Amino acid sequence: MNTETVSKSSASSRVAPSRWSGVRVWPYLFALPFILSYMTFHLYPTLYSFWLSMHDWNGIGAKTYIGLRNYVTLLTKDPLFFKSLYNTFIIMLMSVPLMILLGMVLAYLIFHLAKGRVFFQTVNFLPYITTPVAIGFIFSFMFDWQTGIVNALLIKTGLMTEGYYWLQDPLMAQGIIALMIIWRNLGYFMAIYLAGMTAIPQDIYEAAKVDGSTGLHTFTRITLPMLKNITVFLIVTSIIGGLQLFDEPKLLYGGWSASTSGGPDNAALTVIWKFVNDSFVTGTRFGYGSALAYTLFVIIVLFSLLSYRISAGKGDKA
Amino acid sequence: MKVVKWIFIALVTAVSLFPFYVMIMMSTYYSENIFKGLPLSPSDYLTENLMTVFKTDFIRVYANSLTVSFAAGILGVLTSTLIGYAVAKFNFKLKSFLNYFIIITMMVPAQVGLIGYIIEMRHMGFGNTLMPVILIWSAWSFGAFFMVQYIRDTVPTEILECARIDGASEPRILFGIAMPLIKPGIATLSTLVFLWSWNNYLLPLVTINNAKSFTLPVFISTLGIVHRTDYGARMAALAMATLPVLIIFLLGSRTFIKGITAGAVKG
Repeated sequence: MNTETVSKSSASSRVAPSRWSGVRVWPYLFALPFILSYMTFHLYPTLYSFWLSMHDWNGIGAKTYIGLRNYVTLLTKDPLFFKSLYNTFIIMLMSVPLMILLGMVLAYLIFHLAKGRVFFQTVNFLPYITTPVAIGFIFSFMFDWQTGIVNALLIKTGLMTEGYYWLQDPLMAQGIIALMIIWRNLGYFMAIYLAGMTAIPQDIYEAAKVDGSTGLHTFTRITLPMLKNITVFLIVTSIIGGLQLFDEPKLLYGGWSASTSGGPDNAALTVIWKFVNDSFVTGTRFGYGSALAYTLFVIIVLFSLLSYRISAGKGDKA
Repeated sequence: MKVVKWIFIALVTAVSLFPFYVMIMMSTYYSENIFKGLPLSPSDYLTENLMTVFKTDFIRVYANSLTVSFAAGILGVLTSTLIGYAVAKFNFKLKSFLNYFIIITMMVPAQVGLIGYIIEMRHMGFGNTLMPVILIWSAWSFGAFFMVQYIRDTVPTEILECARIDGASEPRILFGIAMPLIKPGIATLSTLVFLWSWNNYLLPLVTINNAKSFTLPVFISTLGIVHRTDYGARMAALAMATLPVLIIFLLGSRTFIKGITAGAVKG
């Protein structure tokens, strides 16, 4: 590797003055640590996982080549996979639109504050930097049936006469996970929208003002279209990240007591949680787990392309 | 209208802060007393809770987490800066290829190669060490992407050319001239690695089998399941685990938020 780049540089030094020869070698040398690390710790494991996905292997014994059978089993004989995929999408549907809406509204309001902009931005950004473990614990405590703060507050204010078993209701479980995601990411969405609003040139607003546009009209005709790229970015990245959801549901249910896995009626089981369960917890089916991961990868690619098409193609209404 | 606006902002802000508040308040309670009422005002059991926490392996786990985050920060930022500098400021054959390479690799979710990575780490003999959670940052595509943009925007090519004509060696130019200019970018990136590696849960959960090498998220999520569930102590542990990122964030929140949002607003 090294000799190759050196010889390349001496060949090119005929063209350039000799003191420039270093310029030819150094970019390769600078790029090398990253490239080598990527090959070793990312590319090789990824290819190896693909190879594993065509094998039946429990991590210790011999690997048996079974072709695409892992994929066939996953897609035809494993209803729990589709259930986990369905759960993941439901949780995304519950959280992403709300985060976009609330994030934009919050950013808009804070952007137009005369003072305290930095303060509110910082405070609302705090949940984003919090350890997911803390979020899981706090939420499972707040929504606990007997001891939770939510039930206590609802009973104290007279809205309910007895506590509700939030975490044992499948739909509520998904709702609470969505709530955790919203709570954690709202500040991030807000910060991105704030940065986007700051980037809109102010003279556009002044021109609109001169033309008699005010308030809501200015917002829907100027601010919204100017934020379109950012909204597309947020939707696409939330779908990519959302399909990999693991920390929140796992810590909501796996935190206090390790007994439950997947929540009530597996309603909180996401694809990555199932992947972790199949590969490390309930068994060590490394081949099957790899096949699951690759299937999810294909789904992620498809959906990010699709969501990009849809949200970018909506035109100026988006 | 103005009232509605303020109520909305105040409400969202209160909701953002409420769980933190509950966490800190709960860490001052004797576990069994938490459930007698709403733990909304401080109690007097904080020192005892802290003692309970420090009686466990908490300090070693804390040191583990700090080691991981600092090592990952140095490693990730170094390789990112080097390749970022190469792609941003040199003209060479693979320039545009590397640029696309970085962007494409950024899209590949980490879980795809997870099982392969675990097996690889076992074969390399790192199965029970902190290495798996550190080495993953050695090729951090987001960092590389960020650095390409940042160096392109902040380092004027003329300065580098001048230094070259004066006969400075390339490493000298990078570390002596470019580095000081990109310090803010390096700070942002270091904060990001620190935050993400500190909070990472899935990777240490599946790669580290040895309790000696646990990091905070894994440790706390298994803390006290065997014995009496001590909520107060657990909350105290959580509060302490949140502290470093909180301090780092508050110290540089403006550049930090700017760094995190930079990619989105440009693209």
